[in-house]
Amino acid sequence: MPTVTETYSMGVPVEISRIDQELKKLWQDSAGAMTRASLMNLAVYSEEPGSLNKNTQLMAKITENHACRAIVIEADCNATEDGVDAWISAHCHVSGTGSKQICSEQISFLLKGGCTTLLPSIVFSHLDSDLPFYLWWQEEFREPMNPQLWAWVDRIIYDSRDWEDFRAQMRLVESAEEEAKQRMVFCDLNWTRLDNVRFAIAQFFDHPASHHHFGKIRSVRIDFAPGFRSTAVLFAGWLAAQLSWRGEKADVANELRFIGSSGRKIDVELRERPGEPIGEVAMETAEVEFLVTHAKCGDLLEVSRGKPGEKRMPQLMPAAKNDPVSLMGEELMRGGPHHVYLHAVNCVRELL
Amino acid sequence: MRLSNASLDVQRYPICRNLRNLWDNMNRAAEQPEPNPLREGLSTRPVPQPCNIVIFGATGDLTHRKLIPALYNLAADGDLPPSVAIVGFARRKKSDDEFRSDLEEATRKFSRQAVRDEIWKTFAQSIFYHQSDFDDESGYKSLAKRLDEIDKNYGTRGNRLFYLAVAPDQFEPILKHLKAAGLNETCKGSWACVIVEKPFGTDLASARDLNRIVCNSFSEEQTYRIDHFLGKETAQNILVLRFANAIFSPLWNTHYVDHVQITAAETLGVGTRAGFYERAGALRDMVQNHLLQLLCLVAMEPPTDLAADSIRDEKVKVVRSLRRWSRNEIAANVVRGQYTEGAIHGDPVVGYRQEQNVNPDSQTETFVALRLFIDDWRWADVPVYMRVGKRLPKSATEISIHFKKAPAVLFNKDLHDLNVLVIRIQPDEGISLRIHAKVPGTSFRIEPVKMDFHYGTSFGKASPEAYERLLLDAMSGDATLFARRDEVEQAWAFIDPIEEAWHAKKGAPELFFYPAGSWGPEAADDLLARDGRAWRRL
Repeated sequence: MPTVTETYSMGVPVEISRIDQELKKLWQDSAGAMTRASLMNLAVYSEEPGSLNKNTQLMAKITENHACRAIVIEADCNATEDGVDAWISAHCHVSGTGSKQICSEQISFLLKGGCTTLLPSIVFSHLDSDLPFYLWWQEEFREPMNPQLWAWVDRIIYDSRDWEDFRAQMRLVESAEEEAKQRMVFCDLNWTRLDNVRFAIAQFFDHPASHHHFGKIRSVRIDFAPGFRSTAVLFAGWLAAQLSWRGEKADVANELRFIGSSGRKIDVELRERPGEPIGEVAMETAEVEFLVTHAKCGDLLEVSRGKPGEKRMPQLMPAAKNDPVSLMGEELMRGGPHHVYLHAVNCVRELL
Repeated sequence: MRLSNASLDVQRYPICRNLRNLWDNMNRAAEQPEPNPLREGLSTRPVPQPCNIVIFGATGDLTHRKLIPALYNLAADGDLPPSVAIVGFARRKKSDDEFRSDLEEATRKFSRQAVRDEIWKTFAQSIFYHQSDFDDESGYKSLAKRLDEIDKNYGTRGNRLFYLAVAPDQFEPILKHLKAAGLNETCKGSWACVIVEKPFGTDLASARDLNRIVCNSFSEEQTYRIDHFLGKETAQNILVLRFANAIFSPLWNTHYVDHVQITAAETLGVGTRAGFYERAGALRDMVQNHLLQLLCLVAMEPPTDLAADSIRDEKVKVVRSLRRWSRNEIAANVVRGQYTEGAIHGDPVVGYRQEQNVNPDSQTETFVALRLFIDDWRWADVPVYMRVGKRLPKSATEISIHFKKAPAVLFNKDLHDLNVLVIRIQPDEGISLRIHAKVPGTSFRIEPVKMDFHYGTSFGKASPEAYERLLLDAMSGDATLFARRDEVEQAWAFIDPIEEAWHAKKGAPELFFYPAGSWGPEAADDLLARDGRAWRRL
């Protein structure tokens, strides 16, 4: 009898052809005490050795809040022998009421050698029917992009922070989408990282009486942690896209300049500082500074506005966490299209 | 169109003040400002505005158990605009710090998420206490001054939300003085509104009176009548279920629906509410507001859009279409009951008349069952059975749609179970559908099976408390989940004849008794049995 795991093991090895039967058996054996739940198919693909274990741990956490059929794939493209190994397991969590265990099932695959080309077939044959298909791609994209696979993807999730060549990667995803004639939603975890800071900045301008400040912003400073420059650039892209700023060619990599609709110049300074991915954002007009900074306790943002040097009354808001489980959780929670992301990307594509 | 109110002498002509409020609101709607471009894609709900929330009855239970914990949770989740200040208004002497400390203790006890010191500290900085009697004019003048100061220091922008967490008999002095102090009006670009807690009257006359009192100070557009049932996730989901799923719409009418049942059961007795409950009873306490609101959501026609008034227009039509009964018909269609001693979950409990502060000869109903008809095109001849009661075997609020039998040919000659769609409001929010399936085997046996959707199972995220959602809506100017004046009055117009029949000196329908822990008096079962139906087993 297959074991229902509460730990992070990959579960029980199964023959590929018997996955469905074994999954069925898994639930029959545990009927009553457990409830299978699924809102989506969430496949994660990685070529990193040992990623099956690592991603199984992530899935165990992600499924606490997002019931799904998890399909975890590790591809070893350099293996000398071809082969596919598979495992099934379940991630169970006690429900809010404490009466039942809510379980998400996981199918894990290790693809070796030439079998990595079997990815679409492996994925397609194990999708939970009628549920959306989210693919979390942990690798760089490369040619040839298989249109057969992308045609099935509802949301493609990636982290552009890891990309060496943003423009080339983005081109590949966009062409895959075009070829597949599928309106796939691009979900960049690097963009998700910005959610709370964007929210904190946006709330300054909720009252219509604050809107006049938009036309007076003269400088923006964004502090980013080492390795998160692209996150900071995306943030600048967001401001530019939403406030109709046009980018000017930058002479210095971290000093960007935009031109507002009235022709005024807006200087955006990117500063590398140790700490959170986006440690602080300050936007200045001649009269007022809007400041979002990480509070000392780390998981809160301190937001305040006022004249520079003047005593302020900061408020606290939740800050985003930068671990993959939190980022994925946030991304899966939001749903919807990401037009704003694409506009932001288009504004700073050349700078990324 | 821009409306001018410059020439109105609002001091001399009170009606002009109301007109001015109305015009201000119309202007607000007509001059919809440009949306905040930085909000695009960040939130799918109207954005709450900075404001001063003034709570009358700030030392009371509702403030401590519900309102402040709800506001704290909103702050902790980052949903509350930073520029929100809370001013507690009550009679007792207290300093700001004492008030904050009381609220902190209560929030630690009642909040759905653990209180974090650093968040509380920042949140508490914007909480103030204003001591005054409700009928002391000077208290309101000083309140106005204080609110102006807070506006200046906290960026609350002159927006005011007054929350009346007090008994209805306090509404009049509070609202009168708010008006006298000019607090019902604001400068251009700001707003003032009032949230009124139920009960909205005890009958049609008192509801009209209450509405008149409110309306003297605040226009209908500025008034939010809170019914926390409507803030529950599943109640909101009724409209999504009906109008976002094409499969239900064609079946949602007299041609396919046999009958509808709505049950709101609780294991609790009257507890500490005897004083109120003795005067109200189950009909006024639950049916007039919560249950009729649920019925409206189930039975209403699709609104033209999701604007508050479009939805409320359709809801009020349902109440208006409820068949009215003569006094004799009331006895045949409404059953009232009162619990006697019994047991809940195996523990013995006393009868209602033995509860503390209850009249030993009390005629107050703790249980009501009704057989209703909505006389409109969609629901003609479809009975709606409602029951509500205390000290029932389990706590559950559910709506069930019982579909008509399939034709009695082929498989259905011996089948008695109907297809049932159940919407569970609380607890274990979710939806289930009962269908028929063949039992595996060589014989041809058909049994009902249940397809079940549980919110808690599918969505890990806990739903916000109803008060969180409703407070946020009021701060955003979204009145969709609040009852409108005509809805309340129409509901009372339906309830009043029943109360009158029950309290008639001669020929009043009988009050039935049921042991605590049972599903109500037998007469309630007879109500359905007469139609060849039975209450759903919960």
